[in-house]
Amino acid sequence: MAYEALDFYDVDSLLTDEERMIRDAVRDWVEENVIPNIEKACRDEVFPDQWRVDLGEMGVLGAPLKGYGCPGLSYMAYGLICQELERGDSGVRSFASVQGSLAMYPIWDFGSEEQKNHYLPKMHAGEWIGCFGLTEPDYGSNPGDMITRAEDKGDHYLLNGAKMWITNGTIADLAIVWAKLDGVIRGFIVEKDDSGFTAPEMTGKHSLKASVTSELVFQDCRIPKDRILPGVEGLKGPFSCLNNARYGISWGAVGAAQSCFSSAKEYALSRIQFDHPIASFQLVQNKLAWMLREITKGQLLAYHLGKKKDDGTWTSEQISLAKMNNVDMALEIARMARDIHGANGILDEYPIMRHMANLESVKTYEGTHDIHNLILGHHITGIQAFRREL
Amino acid sequence: MGIAVLMKQVPDTTAKITVSGGRVDESAVSKWSISPYDEYALESALQIKEAGGVDLIAVTCGPARAAKMLTDAAAVGADALVHVLVEDLSALDSTQVQAILAAAVKHTGADVVFCGKQAADTNAGSTGPGVAHLLGASCVTMVSEIAVDGDSFTAMRATADGNERIAVSSPCVFAFDKGTTELRRPNVRGIMMAKKKVIETMSPADLGVDMGGSSVSIDGHSPPPEKPPGQKFEGAESVATVVGKLRDEANVI
Repeated sequence: MAYEALDFYDVDSLLTDEERMIRDAVRDWVEENVIPNIEKACRDEVFPDQWRVDLGEMGVLGAPLKGYGCPGLSYMAYGLICQELERGDSGVRSFASVQGSLAMYPIWDFGSEEQKNHYLPKMHAGEWIGCFGLTEPDYGSNPGDMITRAEDKGDHYLLNGAKMWITNGTIADLAIVWAKLDGVIRGFIVEKDDSGFTAPEMTGKHSLKASVTSELVFQDCRIPKDRILPGVEGLKGPFSCLNNARYGISWGAVGAAQSCFSSAKEYALSRIQFDHPIASFQLVQNKLAWMLREITKGQLLAYHLGKKKDDGTWTSEQISLAKMNNVDMALEIARMARDIHGANGILDEYPIMRHMANLESVKTYEGTHDIHNLILGHHITGIQAFRREL
Repeated sequence: MGIAVLMKQVPDTTAKITVSGGRVDESAVSKWSISPYDEYALESALQIKEAGGVDLIAVTCGPARAAKMLTDAAAVGADALVHVLVEDLSALDSTQVQAILAAAVKHTGADVVFCGKQAADTNAGSTGPGVAHLLGASCVTMVSEIAVDGDSFTAMRATADGNERIAVSSPCVFAFDKGTTELRRPNVRGIMMAKKKVIETMSPADLGVDMGGSSVSIDGHSPPPEKPPGQKFEGAESVATVVGKLRDEANVI
């Protein structure tokens, strides 16, 4: 049976033909390529290289960027792409988010003309993979105190330090690395063959198993002077990338929630207990109704934020709200869907446990759930609650 | 050279079909798609277009919703789009549809026509030969592969004895079977370009086609007879009965 996305408030009718076509093309790709293969990819803990090739051919990587080989798609369409990818798996959406929002975007916004011309066309085509090094082993929510350093050695920069939890790290051709140069955070483009740079893969994850997660280690890593991003200084650089990625996540989470809802609804209608489908019982209907309610609200948040992204009237606090809310609701829906599936819910025959485990990561990365609450707390009260003397 | 690709929008093969009043309830169809055999025709035409020197014109006859299918064709590379607007296609018989499509092909100026061997909904299989007859063109059906050299074509088709290779020159019509390639996926750039391609929409009357009345009347529709329930046998003592049934009733041993 063809997948029919829940669309209780007819958000579809608000989209343009172009947005719907792009959504459908990505949906078909996910249906044909991701869903039949995702469980094996998770078991093998690999991101299939063919998916990189396909995403490049479809032209969805860095799609909202304009020029340098990139199509300049609307942020609405980009959100829909994220939604469909994450209906398949958060790992696939993560790959695309990191490539587009975290690696291509800073080059596009802060890079030199030479850097843009050199990297962006190949990254859009999926020929080169990028990653984003901000988080460190001891500096997660607090990246401003990072210890990775860059030193100006006259004809080159010398990088020392380590980054952790880096999606795509081991398979990346280049890394956007944020490091302090004379005490100021700057962005550097590190290429995979640069001396003193290694990217060992992290193992033992119970989440995002089809996504590559790595450390980036810099030991007297020597990079040419033309690899600094000239256009930005300070935390504004990495944070502006994160705004775009978080926006994409707010849509992606709706996709994961849709996958769980669709499976739960189908299961509830076909599972017979006490002579009747469990969908006929009030407690199950209550759960399904709650899922419908939360998904509908999440869709409207994502849609309206998409409008604001395209109009340029968005704020980072609005993005925080959508990321936090939608991932939270998706995780709760995954848990509730597992409950409806009973024992079957733990099997990889259903997408539930995979989405649930993935969403635990999504809840924490790109600004934890609590940090987004603190961002909103700051917005409401004017008092920042992150840093204090005790 | 122009290649007209005739396409029909049909219920997606995965969509749930609801029958109401002996007819398929079109309003209940959740997803409409290009008929799969027409997709093979379109992909074959796209490959010829890539080799150069060919204009690809996607043509359909159908209701307003069929316009989306033409835009989908534009997203993968169709150069021009022609839509003959007929709100209730099921009210027309095959010869009327052929007359409309043949007139539309003439209108495009294309002298080569690609289409599917049959539509996935009606399965009549008459469009290719019927249009060829009206155009006075050669017709090759059940085409699985095609190659072009100037204005002559070599088509591979399956026959009872194996594969046949047939050479024809334009004007000609090819009706495609499942071949070796699937229709390509549209990419973002193709989709963004597609919205700039204008669909030329016209009525049968605009094409000078006198629809007249249909000479076909349909007496009734009925679903296929239900299969009798399966029989189940258990235990070693039933072996003789099962073997007997397989031999005498199923004729498989």
